[in-house]
Amino acid sequence: MTLFTIDEVRKTFKNGEVEEEILKGINLSLNEGEITALVGASGSGKSTLLTIAAGLQPATDGQVLFEEQNLTTMKTDQVRKLRASKFGFVFQFAHLVPFLTVEEQLLLMLDVAESPLKKNEQKYEVNRLLELVGMEHRKTAYPSSLSGGEKQRVAIARAIIHQPKVLFADEPTASLDSQRSKEIMLLLRTLTKTLNITTLLVTHDEEMLAYTDRIIKMSDGVVL
Amino acid sequence: MNLAWKEMKKNKVRFLILGSIIFLVSFLTFIISGLANGLSQDNAALIKDLPKGQFYMAEDADGTFNLSRIDSDLQQKVISKEKEAVAFSIQMGFLNDQDDKQQSVAFVTSTESTLFSNVHQDEVLLDSSLQDKGIQVGDILTNNQYSGKFIVKGFVEQKKYSHAPVAYISEEAYQEMYRVADKQLIFVPNSEPNDIKGLQAYSNKEFLNTIPSYNAEQLSLNMIIWFLVVISGMLFAIFFYMMNVQKIGLYGILKAIGLKTSKLFKMIWTQMAIITIFSLVVSVSLSQLFNIVAPKGMPFTLTIGTTTQLSVVFLLIGFIGATLSGMQIKKIEPLQAIQQGEA
Repeated sequence: MTLFTIDEVRKTFKNGEVEEEILKGINLSLNEGEITALVGASGSGKSTLLTIAAGLQPATDGQVLFEEQNLTTMKTDQVRKLRASKFGFVFQFAHLVPFLTVEEQLLLMLDVAESPLKKNEQKYEVNRLLELVGMEHRKTAYPSSLSGGEKQRVAIARAIIHQPKVLFADEPTASLDSQRSKEIMLLLRTLTKTLNITTLLVTHDEEMLAYTDRIIKMSDGVVL
Repeated sequence: MNLAWKEMKKNKVRFLILGSIIFLVSFLTFIISGLANGLSQDNAALIKDLPKGQFYMAEDADGTFNLSRIDSDLQQKVISKEKEAVAFSIQMGFLNDQDDKQQSVAFVTSTESTLFSNVHQDEVLLDSSLQDKGIQVGDILTNNQYSGKFIVKGFVEQKKYSHAPVAYISEEAYQEMYRVADKQLIFVPNSEPNDIKGLQAYSNKEFLNTIPSYNAEQLSLNMIIWFLVVISGMLFAIFFYMMNVQKIGLYGILKAIGLKTSKLFKMIWTQMAIITIFSLVVSVSLSQLFNIVAPKGMPFTLTIGTTTQLSVVFLLIGFIGATLSGMQIKKIEPLQAIQQGEA
């Protein structure tokens, strides 16, 4: 079942007097529970496409449809609400809040998503997820004492604690070594499949494609 | 989730530094304000303690009450019309104590009134500060221009004029000493200015400003106070600006995951309020302690009203400073932060 539709999306950047078209009419649909990888050379437009789909920047033209809502015509606060409640994000760097413990990072996300869970239920949910990502023993640790792999595990837990419909992952393993990257991808796959989360992943690491269901190649702003 | 408190708990030193700077600035402000009030009391408690009303002095005195002479008939006319009105005169002078030591005083005499102390001829009522100089009730004091002697009848609290203790004397004694029967001023309490031919009306504040040195003294001290208040506001703005610049990446990510910008502002405001309130509690306590232990000779008056007023101003200025620095949060684009890398 199609959950997300990208329809004739174009993105143009102005560089002084010169207009540069980064995305040249992209059409794409994401199926529920599927992990879709966007691959391509640097500058192919894959990260721009992901950020437009995630409502982090507007498209110049075209539509982004999610659950019958068009993100391109929604107000800023409506898009923010959507990001908070229905989307999850994992970036190249974990970007954890430096003054919050591992447990608090997840509780913050539940707060942002305006989770209806009661406090004790939230704590239970956090513990359960930390167990799933193998970080329950570090729940009182601050980000400064975590390794790169551990930080990324916490970032993944934060991205899915509020049970989003779609997970956007932009080069989630780019800052990790090969072994850690495989572990993180395996974890990402296991969790998104268990929780039926649709995933759009940007990567340039071909080894990581083994963990995805569908691969979309991009070049010069078009899907090949 | 209380992000503000959690950040402060994690970065104690950083916030303690800001808190201690705010404490020092506010403490200094309270001390200077205490001195300003103290000096103001020392300079004009006699006038400041009067109720709101109108002061009248001779028109030709041109705002210098020392030069004012109100004709007795005119004085009588005003006093008979306004029941609570009082005519009075103030002159600087000296009293010789029992050890023949000269004490500088402000001689005050008035027509009968509840607003000024009245004494019989050859009696004097002194400000209590002269008690500390060894003068006691029953002592006999003299003045070179007065043929009689003054018996100290008693003391009054905090009655000063032009940094000198007030000495209430009788109209007869004053007349002999200064060879003038006319009074310098008429005060009509609780009234609006009336157009009286030959007299010029002044409100309490206007009259205080005619006192030589009062205005200049207060103006310079108040300027220091407001300068310190503005500095504290700027400190907040600069401190939070620096912190926000360091946290642009973090704020961007928080915005990307859906955190409301208003929550980030709430975080800054809460931190500002905690730091300011904490610093103010310490500085108010210490300044009140200083109020108690300040040396007797130091004119220092710090009322709870003044500290509360200044504290509210500090909070307001802190709020403005923090808000101004927070304006950049509104402009942060989540995308920028994501592309920036780890904060």
